[in-house]
Amino acid sequence: MASLTAACRISARMASRSVRGFRTSAAALAAQNFTMPALSPTMTEGNIATWRVKEGDKFSAGDVLLEIETDKATMDVEAQDDGIMVKIMQADGAKGVAVGTRIAVIAEEGDDISSLEIPADAAPQSKPAESAPSAPPPPTTADQSNVAVPESAPQKSSEKSVPKPPSRQYPHYPSVAHLLKVNGVDANAVKDITPTGPGGRLLKGDVLAYLGKIKAQTPSTVSERFEKLSHLDLSNIKVAKSTEAIKATTEKAQSKKLDAAPAPPPVAVITAPISLSAVLEVQKKVHQTIGVFLPLSTFISRATEIANQKLPLPANYQPTADELFDQVLGLDKVPARKSSRGSYTPTFGSFVAPQRAARKADIIDILAAPSKRAATQSKPATPGLTTAGPNVFSLQVPKAEEKRAQAFLSKMKLVLEQEADKLVRA
Amino acid sequence: MLSQRLIGRAAVRSAFKPSGLPVVVAPRFTRTYATESGLFANIKSWFSPSKKDSGRLTVDVPVEEKDLVIIGGGVAGYVAAIKAGQEGLKVACIEKRGTLGGTCLNVGCIPSKSLLNNSHLYHQILHDSKHRGIEVGDVKLNLAQLMKAKDQSVNGLTKGVEFLLKKNGVEYIKGTGSFADEHTVNVKLNDGGETSVKGKNILIATGSEVTPFPGLEIDEKRVISSTGAIALEKVPEKMLVIGGGIIGLEMASVWSRLGAQVTVIEFLDQIGGPGMDLEVAKSIQKILKKQGINFKTGTKVVSGDKTGETVKLEVDSAKGGKPETLEGDVVLVAIGRRPYTEGLGLENIGLEKDERGRVIIDSEYRTKIPHIRCVGDVTFGPMLAHKAEEEAVAAIEYIKKGYGHVNYGCIPSVMYTFPEVAWVGQSEQELKKAGIPYRVGTFPFSANSRAKTNLDTDGMVKMIADPETDRLLGVHIIGPNAGEMIAEGTLALEYGASSEDIARTCHAHPTLAEAFKEAAMATYSKAIHF
Repeated sequence: MASLTAACRISARMASRSVRGFRTSAAALAAQNFTMPALSPTMTEGNIATWRVKEGDKFSAGDVLLEIETDKATMDVEAQDDGIMVKIMQADGAKGVAVGTRIAVIAEEGDDISSLEIPADAAPQSKPAESAPSAPPPPTTADQSNVAVPESAPQKSSEKSVPKPPSRQYPHYPSVAHLLKVNGVDANAVKDITPTGPGGRLLKGDVLAYLGKIKAQTPSTVSERFEKLSHLDLSNIKVAKSTEAIKATTEKAQSKKLDAAPAPPPVAVITAPISLSAVLEVQKKVHQTIGVFLPLSTFISRATEIANQKLPLPANYQPTADELFDQVLGLDKVPARKSSRGSYTPTFGSFVAPQRAARKADIIDILAAPSKRAATQSKPATPGLTTAGPNVFSLQVPKAEEKRAQAFLSKMKLVLEQEADKLVRA
Repeated sequence: MLSQRLIGRAAVRSAFKPSGLPVVVAPRFTRTYATESGLFANIKSWFSPSKKDSGRLTVDVPVEEKDLVIIGGGVAGYVAAIKAGQEGLKVACIEKRGTLGGTCLNVGCIPSKSLLNNSHLYHQILHDSKHRGIEVGDVKLNLAQLMKAKDQSVNGLTKGVEFLLKKNGVEYIKGTGSFADEHTVNVKLNDGGETSVKGKNILIATGSEVTPFPGLEIDEKRVISSTGAIALEKVPEKMLVIGGGIIGLEMASVWSRLGAQVTVIEFLDQIGGPGMDLEVAKSIQKILKKQGINFKTGTKVVSGDKTGETVKLEVDSAKGGKPETLEGDVVLVAIGRRPYTEGLGLENIGLEKDERGRVIIDSEYRTKIPHIRCVGDVTFGPMLAHKAEEEAVAAIEYIKKGYGHVNYGCIPSVMYTFPEVAWVGQSEQELKKAGIPYRVGTFPFSANSRAKTNLDTDGMVKMIADPETDRLLGVHIIGPNAGEMIAEGTLALEYGASSEDIARTCHAHPTLAEAFKEAAMATYSKAIHF
């Protein structure tokens, strides 16, 4: 520890006003008073630990002259210039030596100390002057013009004999000072203005309200808002369930699920007749023009892809994990989404389009409500596709998704029957 | 010689006399070593066998009782430790990372600022020097050295913190702490072995961790968090950033400046996170776009796939639209942070968290066990280092003096892109939503003399004040040095100043801060230079 402090020790340079007079040019045949230096802005007195120089010793700039103890630390005082110690006035161990008190007499190098005159103590006990600023200012009536704190308002000069708490004073804000002057608000009237600023400060709004230029209650309303904002909002804490509670509920839910398993969830089967003649025509055209045979499955999977876009949300829509995360992050001011992408695959006989097979169940699906998008395939309504008449496309979905599935199928119908040529370009 | 003699001694002296006080006060024997104070008072507890572990351990481990045990050596933890040491408390600070300073100093604020500053210099030399009259030859990027410079800054600061703990007599325990009971924290030491500390008071300051993106596992090589983003080994060709908040945009800036093609994907319609003023967010988006960062706002990442050579993201317009697949060599997940309490053993003492995992506290930072307090990211409020710091000091003051205070309405936010974005107080959209009347005054840096001479004129100062009382409600700055300038706004807000107060305060000329003053003038009356 000692080495550590030593490492960070930076010597205090002696800078007391009394140390003037070190110069190397010529001996001036005069000794100087060396007074107790103030080693920190708050230091008022200190103890002399040890003198490192004896009377008559020469020292050069940077030499440690003495060690001074304060309430906080012990510090070295270094000489700022070369010189000789003439006389030590306050010996080792002197306690409570006030800053500015003469503690030694020094002379310049080359001075003959025996012939030197020891100067008078130039620093008289200047204590009263020094301590004046910290003393409470005497309350005068004139000073009250600056008083902005209502608590201190009832001060009468007749009560001067009673010790009063010092009134809180600070300069007015620029806007306040300006307003007071411009409107000729009497210094005494200032204390009638109710301050609403932090710490009872008088604000521009307070003066404006006093002058009747704005509504009287506005400053306090604004202040109340600030007061509210200055605290953490701890009003709406929702305690998270403990892990045991969560376990219990999930177990319960699981056991419920097991019980409910035999009873199938309400499903709706939605069907739509869709003619594939338009598609077949396009298929033929493509085959003739560029010689590429596009299977029907390609058309249907592309149509499915398109139809799955922007489907209305199911009635029992629950936010996805992402949306929940956004809530966690406080991003829940996002407008609620009105549609989402579906993942339906219609069924139509033995022909199964390989559409969106690549989309594996990811963690979002696992985290999200299981009933959300799972579109279960129904048994084919008619075996296989017929190229002539309309085919029956069907979807078996949970009841809540009925509308969504309907929207899907009607889109599908639109695409396959009327925009089949676009499927090739797409 | 002669003339010199004629000059009075005092006059000669004053020419080389340093004014006023000695240069520095050298403390030799400070009295604030907490380890010394109270050591003897507690020496008894050294020899009393620990009740808890006596069944498991054959040897009685002496359990020392501290006045305060702090779990976490991040900004909240170390500041609390230093403050408590200064207040004369006997403190132990437990940190598992091995270096102090937490996320902020090690993998957050500090290293990112190093990269931001140096990448900006590089970018400026490369693209913004010729028209200033500086022609440079072959400018090359040495990424390894750039990272080294960053590490140097970080090391210097973390060492500094360690020194400060020592200086204030804080015992620094390197290990993972978990609650054994209400007064005891077991520590699994990093060097192996276990110990435990007892504390009259305990402060939880375990901070936060990156919120992972579901389905996209962070490996810090190709799928990175902010931690990986400050330590990439080479500049990626294509980078995707999920989340256009402050972290996302800062990191996007760094790598975009160093040559990556960056796309930022943001779920909301605005970048910068929900706290940023909408007008400012729009403006910075435009500026950053000019710098070469692509934005996809109102876009939701549906899923990610990192099995291929590049990482693929399936995105979809949040409002419904065409789904798309984006590819990148590196994907940065910057969707936010979440409180970190893993392994802390909160359940051992029955402490509760809220649904977002934050430790529940009261207004004095107490948990429901009054001698256990909690500050920083792990509890409520914005996840900002300076907020954690304020709370740490306030919590110690509550312990020691019975009162502390943090003004949550006056916590500034800064985004260190170029130009910087900074704000304090309320945003226009917040006020609008709450139905609070307000008045806005703005001043563009393009009308500011200093910005003009710097040839950095992007941005503006926007001030929002109460229309009747003129009291300042919020300040939003986008511009060079906004992060420094916001201090003035924070001070004004803290003191309940009106925009007129700012406008009537003299600002040096020519400075960027004049724009601040002019915006204040524009708020209560009219700007002079616009």
